Amino acid sequence: MAYDPLLARIDQLSDSYTTRQIDRRQFLKGLAFLGLSLPAINLIVAACSTASSTPSAAAVPSGMPGTADLIAAAKGEGSIYQTGIPPEWVNYQAIFDLWKADYGITINGTSTEGEYSSGQELDSIKNTGKPDVGDVGIAFAVQAKTQGLSAPYKNSHWSDIPDTAKDADGYWCCNYWGAQSFVVNTDAVKIPIKDWKDLLDPSLKNAVGIDGDPTKANDSFFAVWSAAVGNGGGVDNIQPGIDFMNQLQTSGNLTAARASDTNILSGEVKVAIKWDYLGLAVRDKAAGAPNISVTIPSSGSLASPYADIIAAKAPHPNAAKLWQELIYSDDAQLLFLKGYAHPIRYDALNTAGKIPADLAAKLPAADLYKKVTLVTNIDKITAAQKTLGTGWKIVINS
Amino acid sequence: MLSLTVGSIAGTPTVARRRGGRASLVLLPFATLITLFLLLPTVSLFWGSFHDSKSGSFTFANYSYLGHPIDLVPFRNSLELSLASTVLGGLVGLLIAQAIVSSRRPIIQEIATTFSSVAANFAGVPLAFAFIATLGAEGLLTQTLLGAGLDLYGGGFKLYSVLGLTVVYAYWEIPLMVLVMLPPLQAMKPSWREAAEILGASRWQYLRHVAIPILMTPFLSSLLLLYANAFGAYATAYGLTTGFVPLVPLQISNLINGDVNYDPGQADALAIGLAAIMAVCIGGRAVLESRSARWLSR
Repeated sequence: MAYDPLLARIDQLSDSYTTRQIDRRQFLKGLAFLGLSLPAINLIVAACSTASSTPSAAAVPSGMPGTADLIAAAKGEGSIYQTGIPPEWVNYQAIFDLWKADYGITINGTSTEGEYSSGQELDSIKNTGKPDVGDVGIAFAVQAKTQGLSAPYKNSHWSDIPDTAKDADGYWCCNYWGAQSFVVNTDAVKIPIKDWKDLLDPSLKNAVGIDGDPTKANDSFFAVWSAAVGNGGGVDNIQPGIDFMNQLQTSGNLTAARASDTNILSGEVKVAIKWDYLGLAVRDKAAGAPNISVTIPSSGSLASPYADIIAAKAPHPNAAKLWQELIYSDDAQLLFLKGYAHPIRYDALNTAGKIPADLAAKLPAADLYKKVTLVTNIDKITAAQKTLGTGWKIVINS
Repeated sequence: MLSLTVGSIAGTPTVARRRGGRASLVLLPFATLITLFLLLPTVSLFWGSFHDSKSGSFTFANYSYLGHPIDLVPFRNSLELSLASTVLGGLVGLLIAQAIVSSRRPIIQEIATTFSSVAANFAGVPLAFAFIATLGAEGLLTQTLLGAGLDLYGGGFKLYSVLGLTVVYAYWEIPLMVLVMLPPLQAMKPSWREAAEILGASRWQYLRHVAIPILMTPFLSSLLLLYANAFGAYATAYGLTTGFVPLVPLQISNLINGDVNYDPGQADALAIGLAAIMAVCIGGRAVLESRSARWLSR
């Protein structure tokens, strides 16, 4: 048999893996680097896993989330049913791939169910009893608990997660968030935009936009609320944000053109106040035409999280728990970040130096995110919406 | 068929009643449609406007907007916008329609009618986007004019204002005017003019004493149609201004599907206000229509 460099390299990698010189992640990466297809990688990994299994059977390859018992139980259930977790959203496709490579457990759920809104997800859990896990807006996570639709589980990274971002009893846990940012067309805007007060510059006539009507759209609602943070208010007081928007409106800087992708790309909106992940995505889409930079206001802004829930009557409860273990693992959390959603363990990963430099370079500076406040208190959201309801009329009518 | 034959022979009261019964049977689909999609919703709107959205108890509170100047701003904006776009669309549309009739070339008339039907129905988000690309701060026309030394936005013009919306609304109001004014203009018989000329009337006298009196009613009723049309428009205004220029239809939409101001009862009350204005417009049109019909029937 002729000497085949590819086979030799696979042998070498497999040896390093079975003798634990490299961990599972490095092994997978190595195999992928050789240009092997996913099924081929799965075969090799399966072969090596058998080879490396020890009589105790409790050992889990390092880097693979979950305990041996949980993995075995989840594999015994054979599949997981998901709702509201679409592949193109926050890089979920890569997380699906990771799940399949690690555990080989089938993911079920139609693509329509994947696109469900949070409200539809809860309806589906209540009415069909099919879903095991869902990804919902924070308000719906709280609602799911009160309606008895979710089951408690605390993943093994529980202590990394801020108290405000998890239910004390484990009924929901935030997985990632987006923060309000300034999305600046640097070709058209010649002054540096670092903080809220910069938006009042006279050179920005008809230039500053928000993403829709704040009494209707969550994105622009948080834009107004975030403006409060930089102007003497905050989570408890949205009024300074409304006043600031009124100031922008009277100065002629606020444009009624919606800060949509089209209007940002055409230059109709030169400074957009919107979610950082949307801004980063439109920056990549623009690819220099125009040049766009995304920054977090230096005096702070607000972030709104998404949360994971396990259905109370999940048909595959262990697979559901294993899914939690996976998405809060370093690997999956970094995949969220790659999709520009800030993983809930961002601080822990950043402190441990686990964020790759090339990825960090694509994001606003990590320091700026220290001033970002995560909004998870439903009562405060309701109170802010109420104040906005009356206050916004004055802004648009002035 | 039988009753028709009998009716044509006899025409006695009993037969007439039978014919009336058949006629109302024929009207049944239309009556059902009107009941389901016009009368019932109106009744429900009216009922809802006097009931509290949360408790369901009887209240006049939904109409409290009538006493708050800031809540009447949408009505003022809507009235201004509708009036301005009606005058602009009405006058320009009339001139174009007359030009088309005067051309006396069937091909031009057909092309113009087809184009007008398309343009009169081109609205909503695509139209908003087309106008942003043309007259937005970075729009093609805005930038071209800026290059030629005319600074629209520096001069106070904004696409996202009542003035800007007037221009956008005129885009479908003009072709709509052309469509509704073509038939009466085409129905003006050349013999009327010839008769006037034979009797020694000047061009002005013909216009003053013959053409204008006949055309005044269809013209005014067309204006009313344009006005009502502008008043109820929603999608274009929302696509363009995302609610920054408060208009009554946008305000209603906020109240029924906003996350923040959800209050269907108040939306019902606003809709009744809107419906009252629309009813005056359409009722006025009907009155004028009946007056001119006898002249224009051939």
